[in-house]
Amino acid sequence: MRKVAMLAAALALVAAPAGAYKLVAHGARVAVAKSEMTIDPPIDWNRQQSRPGRNAEAWTLDGIPLNEVTFYGGIEGGKALFKEVDKKNKPLPVFKSTMLTPDVVQLFEASYRIAGGSSLFEVGAVEPAEFAGHKGFRFRYAFTLEGEEVKRLGEGAGAVVGGKLWLITYEAPAIHYFDHNLADYRALVASARIPGPQVTVE
Amino acid sequence: MIRAFGAALALLAAAPAPAADQVTPIGAGWQPTDKDERGLWLEVDELERKLRTSAFVMRDPALNAYVRGVFCRLVGEAACAPVRIYILRTPVFNAGMYPTGMMVINSGLLLRMRSEAQLAAILGHEYTHYTNRHVIQGFRDLKRKTSVMTWLALVPVGGYAVAAALTVAQLGMIASVFTFSRGMETEADAGSVPLMQKAGYDPAAAWRVWEQLRAEQDATAAARQRKSRKDADGGMFNTHPPTAERLAALKELAAKHPLGGPADDGAVRYAAALRPWWPALVDDQVKLNDFGATDFVLGKLAEDGWTPDLLYARGELYRSHGDLAQAAGFYRQATEAPGAPPEAWRGLGIVALRSGDEDGGRAALGTYLKLKPDAADRSMIAMMAGETN
Repeated sequence: MRKVAMLAAALALVAAPAGAYKLVAHGARVAVAKSEMTIDPPIDWNRQQSRPGRNAEAWTLDGIPLNEVTFYGGIEGGKALFKEVDKKNKPLPVFKSTMLTPDVVQLFEASYRIAGGSSLFEVGAVEPAEFAGHKGFRFRYAFTLEGEEVKRLGEGAGAVVGGKLWLITYEAPAIHYFDHNLADYRALVASARIPGPQVTVE
Repeated sequence: MIRAFGAALALLAAAPAPAADQVTPIGAGWQPTDKDERGLWLEVDELERKLRTSAFVMRDPALNAYVRGVFCRLVGEAACAPVRIYILRTPVFNAGMYPTGMMVINSGLLLRMRSEAQLAAILGHEYTHYTNRHVIQGFRDLKRKTSVMTWLALVPVGGYAVAAALTVAQLGMIASVFTFSRGMETEADAGSVPLMQKAGYDPAAAWRVWEQLRAEQDATAAARQRKSRKDADGGMFNTHPPTAERLAALKELAAKHPLGGPADDGAVRYAAALRPWWPALVDDQVKLNDFGATDFVLGKLAEDGWTPDLLYARGELYRSHGDLAQAAGFYRQATEAPGAPPEAWRGLGIVALRSGDEDGGRAALGTYLKLKPDAADRSMIAMMAGETN
């Protein structure tokens, strides 16, 4: 979730603080987003020290503006996906445990539009996909932030399990970067484990 | 300039109106000569250079020609010719005219206007800020308070880019550069009404615009269970606080400038010009998570009747607000009208499923897929509809 940090950097003219990342070494399973979601990264990643939200965490390979993976670890009903940017005037929408996939995708879209101040956000394909052994979803999106003008593509994968939203998103500039690291992101998603009831086949 | 941020207004509004600088109004072809103003022009030119290639500029030739036509009718061909108008896809009520002759209009403003005369009222107001050189006056006022270097460092990012993206804290100084004093607002109002009269637009449209905005602020506040700020800092319209005082002054002005002939508000022309864009602009508004204002804006758009598109949008609004029963009602009404968007069935299906009506939900989602076989969310919806792909 680069929106908050990037806007601050671009507009208040403050550079991202040095040492803002910590290495996530490959080969060891780690808990992410202050939650019970765990990831086993096949390659080294860098974790952004400041959290986009209480139950969110951002990783990158080359720097957040170039490739970013965000983990949302069990967002509870009544909570927003990430930190408010202006709660009084532009409050973020909140997750509800009864939401179905289209509602979740719409929540994600609205959150980005509000936080990023961008009306250039489009949702692409939305499809069912297994997520950490649960029935879940996968979706594509594209957006441009106001004042920045870089077109980015994104992919999200997640599931609502136990009334909580578990989600991992990836976004990168449409030129070069998105395709370049898509497989690295999908490898993280494939390694994800979350708590909760096992899938029952209906 | 009409800007949508908070706080910073207080800086200038609280200060006495700058009576200091005597600035003569300008006409077409005017060029700045002194250092302050030339510097300002350079910055704004740079801003315009960036804006020209921005992904946010709506380049639809028909829409641009229409808006330009209204402006030209208002100020006359000679004054209109050198002005560059940029329409931005930004769902916030805002417009501004820069000292160099660059006009910026947000799509959120176009969504809220109900007639050509209302649009003309805004354009005339901004044009008066421009001819009376309010930006340079505000700049000099600011310069007295701070150093030029601070200002120069801030302005390049303080232009169009800030439109909706910024939080109040980030804005600080930037917004205050482009914030006008109440005295300037009064001047701009006073300038707009005679222009409207001359162009044959109903001058009463000017106060109606602000009346609508006041009502919208009330709606936002009520839905968020807060006190409306319409008479305080103007809330989201804070650089142009539509106070009761201003409204009364505009009413008085309109009465002083009656039209000779029948009033032309151009509501039909306006609706025709905006119609192709309405679904997209309404969608932008719905996704702002501002239930009160959005419901109000939809209601205004539906004054001549609820079209299937508007009913669908209202369903989307109520669904995202969590009011599934009401949402279902709006979706259903939309689907019963000819020309309903296929997405109305999708919405109906989703709320039915969420409310435990499996059969109804699946049937509605099935209809959506039949009506929109190439839907981007086809495989997800097909699964929800119980269809095997």
